[in-house]
Amino acid sequence: MENNLISIEDVCVHHQIQINFIQSLEDFGLIHTTVIKKSIWLDSDELSKLEKYLRLSHDLDINLEGLHAVAHLLTQLNDMQEEILSLRNELNYFKQIN
Amino acid sequence: MDYIDYYKILDLKKNASTDDIKKAYRKLARKHHPDLNPNNEEANKKFQQINEANEVLSDPDKRKKYDKYGKDWQHADQLDAKEQQRRQYQSPSGGYDGGSSYSGGFGGEDFSDFFSSMFGGGGGRSSRNSPFKGQDYNADLQLNLVDAYTTHKQTLAVNGKQVRINIPAGVENGQKIKLAGYGAPGVNNGPPGDLYIKFNISDHPRFKRKGNDVYIQEEVDLYTAILGGEKIVETLNGKVKLKIPEGTQPDTTLRLKGKGFPIYKKEDQFGDLYVKWQVKLPTNLNAEQKELFEKLSKS
Repeated sequence: MENNLISIEDVCVHHQIQINFIQSLEDFGLIHTTVIKKSIWLDSDELSKLEKYLRLSHDLDINLEGLHAVAHLLTQLNDMQEEILSLRNELNYFKQIN
Repeated sequence: MDYIDYYKILDLKKNASTDDIKKAYRKLARKHHPDLNPNNEEANKKFQQINEANEVLSDPDKRKKYDKYGKDWQHADQLDAKEQQRRQYQSPSGGYDGGSSYSGGFGGEDFSDFFSSMFGGGGGRSSRNSPFKGQDYNADLQLNLVDAYTTHKQTLAVNGKQVRINIPAGVENGQKIKLAGYGAPGVNNGPPGDLYIKFNISDHPRFKRKGNDVYIQEEVDLYTAILGGEKIVETLNGKVKLKIPEGTQPDTTLRLKGKGFPIYKKEDQFGDLYVKWQVKLPTNLNAEQKELFEKLSKS
């Protein structure tokens, strides 16, 4: 294993998944793999993403198109949560000065 | 261990079919799945309950034991052995009469010991023995504004362990950072979970933060406001001497570029500091001073 990288073969063995699943996720732009010396690797952030999609796929029977839509909506949700946080802090500033 | 009514959790009747259970589980899991409800601990707890209920009710053997013994279902084999032993000494009609308090409502908030032992305390995985990342931990850390101004280290206790973390300058109130690998150990040799730390930054009586900018109010006496002068002002990184131009009006705001809050993870980049001048009028004037002001007002 390289620094903070795990080979996709190891991931497939650990999670008992086909390599096609990882390739499909990458085709949909949901994860990004790294190629080093003709081997394909995942870094820890991408591994977390992969495991999230694996859970959603397994627990909720969501197909790749569904995962793509979920990923998009989760990004929007995250952006909105960050915006709410920023607006709350701004509101707090105005409460303090008034 | 608290008794948990798995049928109630999945909103099912006692005679629900395997298909009904599967459908009910999927329906509720879609709503409460932790990956679809980030930062929602309530949904996470609910999902654990749903998962546990599904694990038991979707397995015919476990369901049978659960239906028969209720809260004691995990000890079904021991209870059956005892029952058999008892029958040897009693009449054949004396059936099992323990553990029949089946209609009791669900009261426990946490998932049961059974679930915990099976899945290592949390993720809500299926019963197959595949390795999975451990549960993520969440912790809150209280900081004051001055703490958040500089990059510094702090030690905090998480699940009995001391974790020393580096807090980058410029963290925002409510912001979360992830420490990879500091969560619960992985399940079946999976990687450990992550630790999420939420920063709660308390307000400062003098410095008001808005994003990366800092706002302060400074008093200036009437004479300096009219005639001009200088004042030494305390900022978050030391004192600065500010020039007050002649005829400075009340509430005039001065912007000091780069004297505000450090921008998170952007080295040597800072917001601005805004200084609002509050002109303080003189009080308790003596007769001579009043006369001078009257002269001024007529000039």
